[in-house]
Amino acid sequence: MKSNRRFHLLWVFVVAGLALVPFVTSGTYITGVMCFVAFYATLACGMALLLHQAGLFSLAHPTFFGLGAYTAGILAARDLLPPWAGIIAAALVVAIVAYVIGAPLLRLSGYYLACATFGLLFIVEITLGQLGPITGGHDGLMDIPPLSFFGFTLQGDFHYYYVAWGLCLGCLWFFSNIMNSRIGRAIKAQHDSETAASCVGINVPRCKLHVFVLTAVTASMAGSLYCFYLEFAAPSMFGFPLLVELFTIVVIGGAATLYGPILGSIALMSIREAIHVHLKGVLPKMTAEVDAVFFGVLIVAILIFMPEGLVGTLDRLAHAGRRFLGKST
Amino acid sequence: MDLLSQTIQYAVSGVTGGSIYAVIGICWSLVYLITRVLNFATGEFVMLGGMLTWAFSSMGFGILPSAFLAVACTVAISMLLERLVIRPIRLPTEMTYMMITIASASVIKGLVLLQWGSESRRIEPFFGTGVIHILGAGVTPQVICVVVLMALITFGLHLFLNHTLLGTALRASAVNLTGARLIGIDIGRFRLFCFGLAGGLGAITGIVTAPITFTGYEIGLLTGLKGLVAAIAGGWSMAGTVVAGLALGLLEGFGAGFIASGLKDVFALVVMILFLIVRTITIPGIKRRT
Repeated sequence: MKSNRRFHLLWVFVVAGLALVPFVTSGTYITGVMCFVAFYATLACGMALLLHQAGLFSLAHPTFFGLGAYTAGILAARDLLPPWAGIIAAALVVAIVAYVIGAPLLRLSGYYLACATFGLLFIVEITLGQLGPITGGHDGLMDIPPLSFFGFTLQGDFHYYYVAWGLCLGCLWFFSNIMNSRIGRAIKAQHDSETAASCVGINVPRCKLHVFVLTAVTASMAGSLYCFYLEFAAPSMFGFPLLVELFTIVVIGGAATLYGPILGSIALMSIREAIHVHLKGVLPKMTAEVDAVFFGVLIVAILIFMPEGLVGTLDRLAHAGRRFLGKST
Repeated sequence: MDLLSQTIQYAVSGVTGGSIYAVIGICWSLVYLITRVLNFATGEFVMLGGMLTWAFSSMGFGILPSAFLAVACTVAISMLLERLVIRPIRLPTEMTYMMITIASASVIKGLVLLQWGSESRRIEPFFGTGVIHILGAGVTPQVICVVVLMALITFGLHLFLNHTLLGTALRASAVNLTGARLIGIDIGRFRLFCFGLAGGLGAITGIVTAPITFTGYEIGLLTGLKGLVAAIAGGWSMAGTVVAGLALGLLEGFGAGFIASGLKDVFALVVMILFLIVRTITIPGIKRRT
């Protein structure tokens, strides 16, 4: 009970702190960066849930992010649906796609699932580039209107900041509730041993499919919001570089907690902004592929030197510190 | 151009591509069978071979010395990757292996982009630019060179694996790692050797294809992935990989020719996914190989 109250207090502090960020920082620079942090964190939380908790090595997460962005973007840009309805429609479309793809693919395990979803990543990226008349081809989808709810139009980083962080924390809250429920325990159980899980009556394929579709839908919602925020979408935004960035976030975040990816995406964005600001003179072309060099080195270093990730390492350091001070039991 | 010559033309380009995928697939399975690592940097070795040859030859070396230097560099990079990146992983699971090789691939790719830019590079064909006409279809000497070289490599590897002591030891460690260690095979050296061999073969592939398809920093991933398709579809065996690679190449050649050339890369990946799905289907009464 006591730890529960402390947990709620922590949530209140985190939410209050995040809500104050746009007011205490000067200009819109930090707010804009934090918007990206929120989108990436939402995406990475789902991916970390899939990789670490459910043990499903699916690499198709950027694909669902992209499909969400493109579906909502096309529906809004062609005036077929208002933007807010586009987000829901995109979530439905992605849920169906994830269900249809997931049902046969999730029977694969380990490397084979990874290979199949890696293939999917490229298939969707190439196809989006080739479907010129519908998606705008390699140049990207233009003319996406900003997000509006019932006559209120979101404008600038300030508005999107709250919507994006609302989505991010909402997803985190949703995921933590799911993982503490019967479904969550089933997900963890099938990760530890599929045979044991199916012996106690868990429908393992259905369980995998549920968590796959669930994370795909959150990825799609983040994607739809992302395309309204940028008012632009291009196939190359949802390809291999994004996957490397997500890996970085997931690896920094570690396997221990659900909120690790949020810290991971804050770290990733800080590094990216630091690179862009400080190395602009040294490196002439700052593309996502150049960033990927730094992230790749980071992934290798973390997997070799601190495999528990940031949260796990901080936890261990705190533990060692407490023991050093003689306060630990 | 009538249908026959068109078909032959597509078949020729299919066989060329297919022989390349077969050799790249062998690179994947060499590493996978000994170390259980799916090395996603395999495609980058192909790219490095081509790009390094281009870089050395633009520095003034002849084509043969620069090709030789490029292969040596790629072998060294591949071995360093195994020794400095893959072996020190603390929690070696399939997931960490895959993450770390994908990360290494993106590092190699990004560094090449920074060093040599994003333009496509071209190496001069080794035997001139003449065209041989067969039934109305044009075949360049380079294409013949690629197919012959790939066939030689495959045949050489076959001889090496089946008729030398080292090759037999390699096959033994692929079958049973613990058993191989028990009879005194040094697995650590073999891992290094396999990575080196895969890097070298990948680089040679990259060099001989560079005059035909051009080379650039971004070709690695997809080329490598198609090799993986061949390896998976071939069941990680050498004969299977060659057959699957050729079939894949032909499919790609005809698909690009008759359906849509923009979707050329999609065909192979769709085939991979379909193949993986079909693999999981069990028919009652038929025992599956494990």
